[in-house]
Parts: sequence; structure tokens; C-alpha cells
Amino acid sequence: MVNRTPVIAVIGAGIAGLEAARQLAALGYEPVLIEKAPVAGGHVAEWNRLFPDMTPASEVIRPLLEQTSGIRTCLDTEIASINRLKDGFNLVLSDGSSLICQAVLFATGFHLFDASKKEEYGYGIYDRVITNRDLEQWFNTRHDPRVDHPKAVGFVHCVGSRDIKAGNAQCSKVCCITAIKQAIEIKEEFPDAEVYCFYMDLRLFGKKYEDFYIKAQRDYGIHFIRGRVSEVGEAIDGRVVVKAEDTLSGKPVRVTLDLLVLMAGIVCNPDAQHYAREIGATVDEDGFLKSRNNLAAITESSRPGVFFAGACTGAKTVPETLAEARSAALAIHQYLSKRG
Amino acid sequence: MDFGFKLSPSSAVNLDTVDRRRYDRLVQLEPDALTCIGCGSCSATCTAAPWSGMSVRKVILGLQRGRDDEVDAMLSRCMLCGKCTMVCPRGINTRHLILTLCRLDKNGEAVR
Amino acid sequence: MRERFITHFDPFVIPFLVGMAFVLGYCLVAMVRVIAELPKADRKRFLGSLFTPKYIWMNVRDIFLNCLIHVKLWKRNKVLGFMHSSIAFGWFMIIVLGHLEVMLFVPERIRLFYYPIFFNYFVAETEQTIQGSLLMFLMDFFLLLILSGIAIAIIKRFASRIVGMRRTTRLSLLDRVGLYSLWAIFPLRLLAESFTAHISGGSFLTIPTNWVFRQFLGNDLYALPTWWAYSVALCVFMCVLPFTRYMHIPAEMLLIPMRNAGIRIRHPRKGFATLEVYSCPGCGVCIDACPMTVRKANCKDCTVYLNRQLRRGNERRIEEIADKCLLCGKCTAVCQVGAQGPELRVAQRERRKYALSPSYAGINVRPMARAVAAGAGGESGGVLYFAGCMTHLTPSIRRATASLLDKAGVRWQMMDPDGGLCCGRPLMMAGRTEQARELIAKNLEIIRASGCDTLLLSCPICYRIFKEEYPLDGIRVVHHSVFFQELIAAGQLSIQRDGEAKFVWHDPCELGRGCGIYEQPRQALAAAGELVEAGRHHAESICCGGSLGSLTLSFDQRRPMVRNALDNLTVADPSEIVTGCPLCLSTFVRDADRPVRDIAEVLDSRC
Repeated sequence: MVNRTPVIAVIGAGIAGLEAARQLAALGYEPVLIEKAPVAGGHVAEWNRLFPDMTPASEVIRPLLEQTSGIRTCLDTEIASINRLKDGFNLVLSDGSSLICQAVLFATGFHLFDASKKEEYGYGIYDRVITNRDLEQWFNTRHDPRVDHPKAVGFVHCVGSRDIKAGNAQCSKVCCITAIKQAIEIKEEFPDAEVYCFYMDLRLFGKKYEDFYIKAQRDYGIHFIRGRVSEVGEAIDGRVVVKAEDTLSGKPVRVTLDLLVLMAGIVCNPDAQHYAREIGATVDEDGFLKSRNNLAAITESSRPGVFFAGACTGAKTVPETLAEARSAALAIHQYLSKRG
Repeated sequence: MDFGFKLSPSSAVNLDTVDRRRYDRLVQLEPDALTCIGCGSCSATCTAAPWSGMSVRKVILGLQRGRDDEVDAMLSRCMLCGKCTMVCPRGINTRHLILTLCRLDKNGEAVR
Repeated sequence: MRERFITHFDPFVIPFLVGMAFVLGYCLVAMVRVIAELPKADRKRFLGSLFTPKYIWMNVRDIFLNCLIHVKLWKRNKVLGFMHSSIAFGWFMIIVLGHLEVMLFVPERIRLFYYPIFFNYFVAETEQTIQGSLLMFLMDFFLLLILSGIAIAIIKRFASRIVGMRRTTRLSLLDRVGLYSLWAIFPLRLLAESFTAHISGGSFLTIPTNWVFRQFLGNDLYALPTWWAYSVALCVFMCVLPFTRYMHIPAEMLLIPMRNAGIRIRHPRKGFATLEVYSCPGCGVCIDACPMTVRKANCKDCTVYLNRQLRRGNERRIEEIADKCLLCGKCTAVCQVGAQGPELRVAQRERRKYALSPSYAGINVRPMARAVAAGAGGESGGVLYFAGCMTHLTPSIRRATASLLDKAGVRWQMMDPDGGLCCGRPLMMAGRTEQARELIAKNLEIIRASGCDTLLLSCPICYRIFKEEYPLDGIRVVHHSVFFQELIAAGQLSIQRDGEAKFVWHDPCELGRGCGIYEQPRQALAAAGELVEAGRHHAESICCGGSLGSLTLSFDQRRPMVRNALDNLTVADPSEIVTGCPLCLSTFVRDADRPVRDIAEVLDSRC
């Protein structure tokens, strides 16, 4: 038998999967992208612009798609089962074909928390309550009857994040900055609107994030209120009434809004948990996949030949995800080289 | 030493002299109180808040700052309706926390 | 029949007499104490009921059906029902037949207490008569019945699953003594009667046994010691009875008339509460039924253990058990003596001392009263809708209820559009009854000011207290599921049936077991789509796990209960879970794998 090019199954064709596949192909391997959705690009492809430079999301996605066009990509495809072989894995795909590969890379990403599970916020009940994703859709399409020249807009941070009852105790990391970005965009669109951000703690850790926050306050006059929204009611005219405590002044506040945007948090993709269990990788207490080492080997699982990239191990920003994808490609390269 | 002015004794919290026995006893009995992140959900939703400013968040904080009178005033209107327990993102059993606190005297001992 | 001994006496009856005297004395004192501890009004009521023909009939019927036949247990589990009724009813019949025999053959001995029990020892058969043979036959028949019951009891003790119980109670030492002596009594009676059957006569059971033994024993020397053993077993059983779970036998006979007279628990440890505690047979049916015992957790916090700890006076455990319970009432629903676990626990909570007690006297509700009075516009009648605390956290219910009321053309207004006072039920559940009364007074002021004739509730927690504790003469208190069902029946709401939808109705504890409302919501739902039932439903439905009844259960501890309740609801694979309680809804939504909606939402979407 001739020495064949090693095949690597990359589960998920979001930015992590695409970038890793691109790097693996460049290293001379044969990556195969397996994507459940009918298009590649993942969550980022659904977004309009990205923080902190307001870069259009397409600027990230387009080059990635172009440079991976030669790579075998199975869209609309799920994995029916995974079997471990002596020196690799056998993936049975939903179209009935099977894929023998030497390594598997999880680039399964995240799921946005289902905001309707937080009954008290009225998502799916009130016409004026939308999620961060709905708002990005509106930025993309300018078509959503719920967004109709709002005079007062509220952003609720941490919907399904840091919330033990919702099953996700972790901080979703990117919602604070996303909320600020979207608040600014709303303000640009509707300069007369009053915009309120209800936050528990503002976590602005990344490059230029703090500037972004200052800009939101100084240049756009966005109001930041430290307090979690506890109830959303409906006024007679159909607007929504939001109740929260302004914990800095220690006083309850209520405000009537035309639009309420829920910053749905990041939870692990349930498919990823399922596949991980099947392949013998560990799922961590927080529901995300567990790396072999959270400092030195974040892209490696405890099972040889199984690798992770991106938000499948926890909430991540775009640059972090891309960096991790490259790092995962290198880790796979080392793994395969060592095996010879 | 005389600086020529005085801090009003009621508004400043002197952490050196705060009596935290009640708080210490509370966290011993209700360790979940330590997971509070002060988000204010409980205060905003509280049925009794309009009449007493009741707020579990402030109760937990007030005990640590020696504001026992304020704490008692807040607790004295609680209706135990359970809304705060329902909205708490940390899953703290606030209702039992309040009941436990109502049983403790000034020294942090449960009354018998 | 003739008597064998002139003295009509043998020392072996002494243990029996001692045991009997002890147990009767003990029960008499205990009964007087329980009655004396009742509040005066209750005592008068109870004693009065004992002389009222209606109650006498009820008492006799209930004691017969419950204490002897164990009707409730039969309905629940045929094997257990047979086991209990065979022992209880069989024993009762043996005593009755023993007395009949004495009255028939040696009527002058009826005053000797032990005579009917040991009749076969004291007499010799002279001739066979029809009556005699029939009585002998019946004696043997009932003895066989009891023995079959005992056999099941022994199997149950060592392999409870065979009789359909997953978990039974762990017995205390005295309970074991009682149990083993009870098991011993009837085989010993069989042996004793068999040994003397060739003298006293017998029937299909004792005669052949007698014959078998005579084949290899050949003499009567074993007869007397066996009668001794029988008497001693009776003595042991009766002497330990007051300190074991078997105390439920005499206690229940007092409990039934008291409950029929409408006596309730007024004190956590005295009077009726004591009686309830002692009436617990310790069978452990409540353990399997309790929603807290999912995954073998909290088994020791069920009502049977509360009763045991109350008897022992273990204050630490009493507090723990009393505070943990969800107060869902399922133990009462399945209990054969109807032990009121929730009420007993609330009574324990009421006993607690607090350094700080809230007071609501200073709350001014006049602005709210004025607002509803203005809302009524001077007209009386109409519906006043009280959403309550929990419904404010589930805006979907409030919105759907409002929409349905408008669609039906009902004149209505809301009592708490911007939030109101709590109804008081959560305080009552926490044992703070006095504080609850203050809230009741405040809410009454608002309700009266509105001039409404119907008070509509979408929360069963509120509904229960408004119905039970609020003096709302002339104002109808109604849960929204019932109200909408009536509007549908009256044609004021027309529901489009959804051929695809398959609903399962979750009975909220406070609405179902608490207020007896089971059918109206089902009828309303059946108008909107196909209705399927959960694994356990109606009075045996499983609490959602979110109940305010529990003071101490943490969120993590509740989660398995929620999942278990959901598993129970989805056995028939419904497309949607429907409930009528905002708290159940919020609890289920977090963990359900399919939509969960309030009945108002379902009806509103099909209307």
C-alpha cells in the first residue's frame, strides 16, 4: 500500500473549521469539512459587522471561503456515527458514505442560548423583544417589522450567561462588547433614540474594547445601568416596560422601550457534546469540550488524534478562534509527523 | 487629632469596627449567599420593595457593612412570595436565606 | 361441647391478659389525652358528632372499610390490599367467631375475657352439629386467610419489589419485635389449635394438621407449651404495640371519627397532630410516591419518617423534614389512613421562633383600592383579575388571559397591573400564618373596593388561599382554566381544534390535590386538540419540583425532580405540555424538550 496523504475530518465549517482546513491543506494534508448547515461560514457569516473596528463580517468570511474552495466540503451533512479504528477514525455521514481519517478536529462552535427559555423577558411573546442575532439580521437585511424607528432601545446583557438556572454559569465573554457595538450601530441608525444597556458587570478585556466603551458613552450618549433586568411587561400601547434595579444608586428603575435586545449568551453546541462522547473525548463541567490542558494544550483533547479549535471549548472572539485554528493545525501536523 | 471637620458617623462605614457576626453566621448557614454577584434582579422584582426598599442584594451587602437597622427594616416587609428566588441567576435560595436571617438575633444566634 | 376443666382457667392465659390489660389501659389514657388536648370548640364538635346518627353511620362505615378491608390500599395495590385486609379482617372475624362459639356452646363463660381467644383449649367436642362445624370451618378459613397474608408480608419484607413496592421503610428495633411477634401469633395459633383438634374438634385445616402431628409425636405433651407460646406471642405483640407502628390500629379508630367530625391540626404536637402521627402504619407507600425521592434521594424525608421522628422527639430531624417538603400533598393522596403530611409540616413550621417578624400594617393600599374602584367606574359586578407575583414573571400568561377575556367580551379589570401585594399563601406555607392574615386583610380591602362579583386567578397558589382563607362572601373565586372552560361551554369563546396538536395536562399540586380541580382544564384542552394523559395524573400527578412549599431544597436538588416530572408527563409523547400554574411553567420551561405553555396561551392561540 502506498503512503497516502493523511485525511483529517474537520467537523464544522465556521471560521475555525475553514481556517484550520486552509492551514492543513497548506501543510500538505487532506482536510474534509463536514458542515450541518447548507452554507459554510457559521455564526460569523450571519453577522453584519464585527467589533471593535466595525469590520464587515464578509471581509473575514470571503477570503476564508475562497482559499478553501479546493477543499472537499460536505454541506448539509451530519455525522451518523463515529468509530475508532486502530490508527484513525471512521465517520459515517448522514448521506450514507463513510470517511476514514487519521485525525478529527472539532470546530463545532457554539449555540446561541434560546432566549425564550427566560420566560420573564418575553422573547417570542412580545413583538418588541428581539435577540442580538435578530438585530444582526436586521442590519443585514433591513427587514424586520419589529425594528421600526424605535425611540427608546434597551440591551439586556447576560441573557443565559452567568445563569446557573439557565444551565450556563459561565460568562459568554463577547456579549458586553457586542452589545456596545450594536448599541452604537442603533444610535447611528436612529440618532434620536435613547439607548440603555443593562449589565451585571462590564467585561471589556480585548484590544480597543475600552476605547469602544468610552466612545459609546462620550460620542453616542448611551446609558449604562448596572442591574439585571428582572421583568418585562407590556404597556397599553404595546411598548415594553422594563424593570431593573440600578444597583449603583440602589434604586429600582423602570423604563418604557420600543425595542428590547436580549444579548443571548454562548452555550456549547449539543451536537459537539454528542460527538465527543461517541469519540471518547471529555465534556467539561461547563458543557464545553475539555482540553487536555487549559494553558499549554487547549487545542488537544485527552484522546490522541482528536483536536479542538474555536468556541467548542468555550466562548471566544474572532481573532482568538482564528489563532486557535492555526494552532490546532500545527498540533495535528506534529501528531501525524510523530506517527510517521 | 482635629482636622476641623468630622465625617458624619452615620454615612461612613468603618470596616475596622463593623460587627459581622450575623453575616458570618448567615454564610455558615446559607453558603450560597457567597455566590451573589449583586445583579439586582431580586430587588427589581421584589413585591415588597415599593414599601420597604426590600432587596436581598442590599440585605447581604448591608450585613457586611454593619447596616443592621437598614437590613431589619427591609426584612420586616418581606412577603416570602419567592419571586427573588425565581429570578436569581445564581440559583440562591433567597427565600430560605431571609427566613434564616429572621431567626438570628443581633449576635448571630438562632432564637429558640 | 363440654368444658374440659372445672376451673375454666389455666395459667397460660395470664400473659395474654397482661398484654390485653396493658394495651387497653394505654390506649384509653392516650385517647383521653388526645381528646383533652383538642381546643374546646373542636372537642365539643367531636363529642357531639359521636351522638349524631349521620356521623355514627359514617364512622362505622369508614372504620369497617378502611381499618378492616383497607379499601384505599386495594385500589392502589391488589397484593398489598389483600395482605392487609386478610390479616385485619381475618383477625377481626376470628375474634367475632370466637365470641360466637362461646355464646353458642358455653354462654355462661362469655364474661371471661380470654375464653373466646383460647376456646379450643378449654372445650372438648361431644357431638358434631351443623352450627358447630360451620363455625369451625369459618375459624379455619379465616386462619388460613390470615396465614396467606402473613406469607405475603414475609415475602414483602425480604423482597418488596415482588409486591410492587420499590422502597419500604426501615424498621426500628421495637418495630421488628412487633413484626416478628405478629408473624408468630398465627402460625402458633394454628399449631396450638391443631394439637388439641382431636379433643376440641376442628375443620379442614386443623384436623389434618392434628393427624399429621399425631403420626410422629404420638402424645399431647406439646399442646400446652404451644398454647403458652401463642399466649406469650400475643402478650409480646400487645405490650410493644404502643411503641411500634402497630399503634396505628387503635389510633386509626379514633382518627376516623375525628376526621369525619372535621377536626384539623391546630397544634404541632398536641391533640389531633398526635393522633395523626400515631395513625401512621409506617407502610412506606409515601416513599415511592414522594416526588423528592427521585434517584433514591431524600427517602428519609417522607411523611412516614416525619411521623417516626415526631414520636421520637428528634427536633433536629423534625425541622429538617418539615422544611424540606414541597407540600405537594401526594403522600396524603396515596396514604391509606390519609395522613396529612403537608398540614403536619406546616404546623411544625408555625412553631418556629423568629427574632424578626414582618408586619404589613404600615402598607397603605388605599391608592390601589381607589384605582380599582375608578376602574370599575361605579358599576358593580364584573371580573377582577389578580395576576399575582408569579404571573408577573410569566408575561405570556397574563397576556393570553387578558386577550381571552377581551375575546369573550367579559367586563374585567386587573387588580395588580403594576404589581400588588402577595396573596399570603407563601407565608402560610412557611408557617407564618399571622403575617398571612395581615396580607389577607390588605388584599380584601382592594377586592371589596372594586365591587367585582368574580375574582379570577391564573395562579393556583393564589387561588387556593383566596378560596380557603379569604372571607369573600358573594364574590366567586375562580381559576382561569375553569373560567375559560365555562366560557367555551357557554359559547362565548369558540376554539378551533388543532388536528396536529397532542396535549398533556400537568395537574398543578395546588389546583388538583389542593382544590380538587381536574376535569375542567382537561375539557377545555380537549376542545383545542387531542388530550393524552401523563404516566401518573389527577390525584397522583407528580409535583413539578418548583414548589414554594419547600423552604430548603436548593435549585440543584430540585433539578432531578423536575426531570422526573417531565419524564412522567411525556410518556404518551405529547407535542406540548400544558399547565395552569406560572410556577410549574417557569420550572418546566428550563428543562423540557418540547414546548410548555399555560392553558390560557393554548386556548388564546386557537381562538
